[in-house]
Amino acid sequence: MELKPQPGMAETSVLERIEGRFGYATDQQHLPGLLHGAILRSRHAHARLLRVDTSRARLMSGVRAVVTAADVPGLNRLGIVVRDQPVLCEDRVRYEGDAIAAVAADTVEQARAALEVIDVDYAPLAVVDQAETAEQMSPLHGESNLLAREAFERGDTDAAFARCAVIVEHHYQTPRQMHAFMETEGGVAIPDNNGGVIFRVGCQSGHRDAEQLADILGLKPSQVTVEATPTGGAFGGKDELTIQPAAGILALQTGSPVLIHLDRFESCRTGIKRHPVSMIMTTGCDRQGRILAHRVDALLDTGAYASLGPAVLENFLDHATAPLYRIEAYSVSGRLVYTNNGVSGAFRGFGGNQATFAVESQLDALAEKLAMCPLALRRINLRTVDEPGSRGQVVRWSAPPTDVLAEAGASPLWAPAVSDARRRWLTGTGMAMGAQGNGLGDGLPDRGGGRVSLSAEGRIRLEFGFSDYGQNLAEAITCLVCETLGCVAGDIDVVLGNSRGPDSGPTSASRSSVLIHGVLADILPRWKDRVRDQAAVLTGLPCDQLYSGPGGLFAGGRQVLSYRELAEKGQPEQTRVDASQAFPVAPEGNQLVGRYLQLQIATVARVAVDRLTGRVRVTDLHHITAAGRVIYPPGYLGQIEGAAIMGLGMALSEDMPTRQGRYLADNLDQYIIPTLQDVPDQRVDVLDNTPTTDRFPVRGVGELGIEAVAPAICSAIEAATGIRVRHLPVDAGYLLAELCAQEETCS
Amino acid sequence: MTRQTQPEPCAPEHVTFELNGDVISQWVSPATTLLDILRGSGRITSARAGCRIGRCGACTVLLNGQAVPGCLVMAWQVSGCTVETAEGLAEASDFAQVRDALATESALQCGYCTPGVAVSLVSGLRQQQNGDVVDLEEAVAGNLCRCTGYGGLKRAIAVLTETSSET
Amino acid sequence: MSDPLSELNPVTERRAIRVLRPDSPSEAVSLARRFKVPYMAGGTWLQPTHERDQCWPEKLVALNAAWPAFRGLEDDSRGLTVGALTSLSEMARHPLVREYLPPLALFLNRVAGPGVRALGTVGGNLAVGGDLSALAMALDVRVDVLNRTGERTLPLSRWLRERASDDLLRGFTIPDCRGWRISLEKLGYRERFSPTRATLVCVHDGDRVRLAVCGEGGLLRLVAPETFVNDRADLASGDVGAVIDRELAAHGWQDAHLRMALRRMTTGLLSEVALGT
Ligand SMILES: Cc1cc2nc3c(=O)[nH]c(=O)nc-3n(C[C@H](O)[C@H](O)[C@H](O)COP(=O)(O)OP(=O)(O)OC[C@H]3O[C@@H](n4cnc5c(N)ncnc54)[C@H](O)[C@@H]3O)c2cc1C
Repeated sequence: MELKPQPGMAETSVLERIEGRFGYATDQQHLPGLLHGAILRSRHAHARLLRVDTSRARLMSGVRAVVTAADVPGLNRLGIVVRDQPVLCEDRVRYEGDAIAAVAADTVEQARAALEVIDVDYAPLAVVDQAETAEQMSPLHGESNLLAREAFERGDTDAAFARCAVIVEHHYQTPRQMHAFMETEGGVAIPDNNGGVIFRVGCQSGHRDAEQLADILGLKPSQVTVEATPTGGAFGGKDELTIQPAAGILALQTGSPVLIHLDRFESCRTGIKRHPVSMIMTTGCDRQGRILAHRVDALLDTGAYASLGPAVLENFLDHATAPLYRIEAYSVSGRLVYTNNGVSGAFRGFGGNQATFAVESQLDALAEKLAMCPLALRRINLRTVDEPGSRGQVVRWSAPPTDVLAEAGASPLWAPAVSDARRRWLTGTGMAMGAQGNGLGDGLPDRGGGRVSLSAEGRIRLEFGFSDYGQNLAEAITCLVCETLGCVAGDIDVVLGNSRGPDSGPTSASRSSVLIHGVLADILPRWKDRVRDQAAVLTGLPCDQLYSGPGGLFAGGRQVLSYRELAEKGQPEQTRVDASQAFPVAPEGNQLVGRYLQLQIATVARVAVDRLTGRVRVTDLHHITAAGRVIYPPGYLGQIEGAAIMGLGMALSEDMPTRQGRYLADNLDQYIIPTLQDVPDQRVDVLDNTPTTDRFPVRGVGELGIEAVAPAICSAIEAATGIRVRHLPVDAGYLLAELCAQEETCS
Repeated sequence: MTRQTQPEPCAPEHVTFELNGDVISQWVSPATTLLDILRGSGRITSARAGCRIGRCGACTVLLNGQAVPGCLVMAWQVSGCTVETAEGLAEASDFAQVRDALATESALQCGYCTPGVAVSLVSGLRQQQNGDVVDLEEAVAGNLCRCTGYGGLKRAIAVLTETSSET
Repeated sequence: MSDPLSELNPVTERRAIRVLRPDSPSEAVSLARRFKVPYMAGGTWLQPTHERDQCWPEKLVALNAAWPAFRGLEDDSRGLTVGALTSLSEMARHPLVREYLPPLALFLNRVAGPGVRALGTVGGNLAVGGDLSALAMALDVRVDVLNRTGERTLPLSRWLRERASDDLLRGFTIPDCRGWRISLEKLGYRERFSPTRATLVCVHDGDRVRLAVCGEGGLLRLVAPETFVNDRADLASGDVGAVIDRELAAHGWQDAHLRMALRRMTTGLLSEVALGT
């Protein structure tokens, strides 16, 4: 069913966003007594720090505090998985974004001017700038630059390869993509006058950040509050702490609120990126096209600190096993190495889409060798809904993969495009599929909670710990609440992202929608009962005749009590219901590997390749998703479309190359993301066979849209030109050279 | 270029301009960006520093009726000019038309870039009113959005184009 | 694009920049000369360049669009004269542009974005070797330049070779090119709002073909390919490719793939001007 655009909810917040009145973290420039912070970054990608002298900086006008490593009150380390990154470097810098000192001053200019006169002596060290040779270089941390090595094996791969009729082996490379959220990292730290600190920042996990910040600031957990303010985009890039530690230390030192807002140059230089992956994939099948054997050898450059690298490696390998397809034997392994090339970590897709790019390209390569239709090859290898996942785990699909494929096969985009008069543009259509699991996976602790209550003003208040960075969470919650309670959007307040409120866990891994749905299914009926009980007392009507509706409680089709009256006369505090639940995983008795809730997408792409220059235009994208129920259609559509265009950018123009450990792009004129004119028309079709009784009918679709775009585009390029591109982003020059070579052999 | 010791700040100048109908009159150093003046005024949050080099469109405002990036305009250039931002345009009927189209077509997610997009569209509509041929999709070519993939924005523009061709 | 004037007396904060506002062009010239500081027109090139390294010229000399002949378009027997301080968007909208340079208005959609075009000037664009410079080069425009020695009119190509730091561009004159066939094409990193990799212009003046390019390898009139094409009867056929490649390589266009694209783009544009479409 095609997901037609539907009118969005005209929430006040939407109007405020359009008019620019919606308070983002970095809009808080006028708090009383506000100071501005700035951070001194390393001038070297790798060096010993011999001396950091702040004496001149302290004398600069307007300067209120200058802090270095010695001033970190608690643990001078941060990191979600491994706390290995200094808040302020002590004796060594490992990338050119490493923080050395921070200043708070009355104005931004004064703070920056003070940074200029902090004297730092460096002794440069050899720069580890090649992931390939990182393990032979002297280690950035501990004993070796090998941070993690992981392998998934199944069956006897060598023996299976020996039986293959056709084997394809290729090298693939994916870019170091930047999140390029429009609001660069920022926020304020405000001393609470009791020794504690309140943070109002753009982030993805208020509760987890509060824990880390308490350790860094040497405070008790109860002394740190994080209010995840509306955030101007995140995509994984605000998962780790960004400016919070420096702002917090400066706020404690000065007793004043401190705002830090990185500019784009600093954001590019210091921010986390997507892991570049270099991999060799070998895949073999029998004469009929049944895949028998698959081998992957991958190298991921995690940069100077671990961040979420190990988890990204796991998800990469999970996707490298080709989870949609039945493969007898595989051996999939990857190494994650430290280098001085910035820091890589969480990014929408989380390693998975890098693997899918290569896997899907391999399938096309096999089909080509067998002279078989690539869709037919996929059809005979796709799993059924009853089969276990690629790692032997129990999985739950919301539609049979072959149905998704069949819809992709029926896409109107396969019809040949009308060619231009001069035959300048070569057109072609291609497709790819992708699977994606929800949740942190692998049996990691994964819980989330929420709360409903009636506010003193008589509004139904829903609280979750998730951060709002534009995923329409509030709209989705509102839709579900209205559906269950029969009320209207105007009755509801949604409060998100306060570390004092319920802990929902991180806003990542496409987990929010699933947990929101699950928690609401638990708390709303209980809330309804409590409200009805109170209303029965107040109205004298029997409980079972009362039901909630727009604006209040009803009996016999008539409103008998408004929510406001209920709040005024009843005991609103007694209506509060909290619940927390584990993220859905495989039923008891099963081994918890990989992810249980699975989503699929097939993306069909049509492209036009310029014969004269090699540049590629994607003219159409058609996605078929099987990702459970659609709660808020405009939100669903927006997530798929938005993620797909990020995938398009990754395929065609986005990369952050390094030289000697330095990023070669420092702003949005050099780092090229798509504009409106670069994006095609998109269509999204939703396949959903989940029964109404399904306990987990809702899946998170924040990452699904990026999964299959890049391989679909490359498949379409091949259809147009006969040239397969395996290194992203697609190099127009390379395509052109290949096209020219083809013409020469033809003539 | 080698960095040298900082000379004294340039003497501030008196700059007077009209901001959303109010007269603003203040002392600033002449090379200060309009963006910084607006954000520093405490009245404006809709113009945002997304890149500071004119490359993202998040600071788009109307300067004498034309959409420009506020980060590329210097204080001395705005004396005697009118400046309108999304806050000030909120009451204007063409802005309302743009706002409704953006909201109904869900042309935004995080919304950080959206005021700039809206101002660019208003500028495009006003140029159309003046008889210029303006393609509204071209009017937002300088506004980057990272969340939506521009799907909703394209649909909103289709709606605006339809209504403006009817009138 | 390069700025020969930026090496002087840097300051590290915008706050410290002095903006000199001369009353007349001649005063502008003497200020620029005396303090060895650059002119500022729209400022759209200057500001990003200096914002990037947080290092500014200590002073700027502000140009004033109200000075006579500095802004607007006019035609007379010499051709079309464009004031240097005309903004790119004014140029795009102007009826005389439709008459003299029909494809330019649409082409300008690919130069910067609407906001930058509203501020940026055509003079600034020529001064930094921007997208318009290839067109100006192919059209053999004559520039009108003021400096301490007075006022001169000379071909753009010569001015760019001999340019002194205090040369102030007042405007330029395009020969009467109505009826000429003009094709332009820009190759960027994306469809819109992209720095140029290569902007190529092909003009047929009824007699001869002219070719010019600007972008990564710098501004260049493709003299040898022009000769090659003009001395052959059939414009659309024949392999000018090798000649173009040699010419580009000899003049700083390092990227072989980009040269390859330019060869092919040129053939494409040549057939357009030859066919008159
Ligand atoms: C986001 C963005 C995108 C851009 N995209 C493009 C693009 O696609 N294509 C392109 O060509 N350019 C592009 N530019 C570059 C540039 O801004 C334009 O080329 C513009 O036309 C420059 O004009 P200006 O008046 O702003 O120049 P300014 O910045 O004022 O000046 C630029 C240089 O020219 C000198 N100068 C200016 N006017 C004169 C004069 N009358 N006499 C003598 N010297 C003078 C100045 O001293 C200075 O050295 C872009 C800029 C930005 C910020």
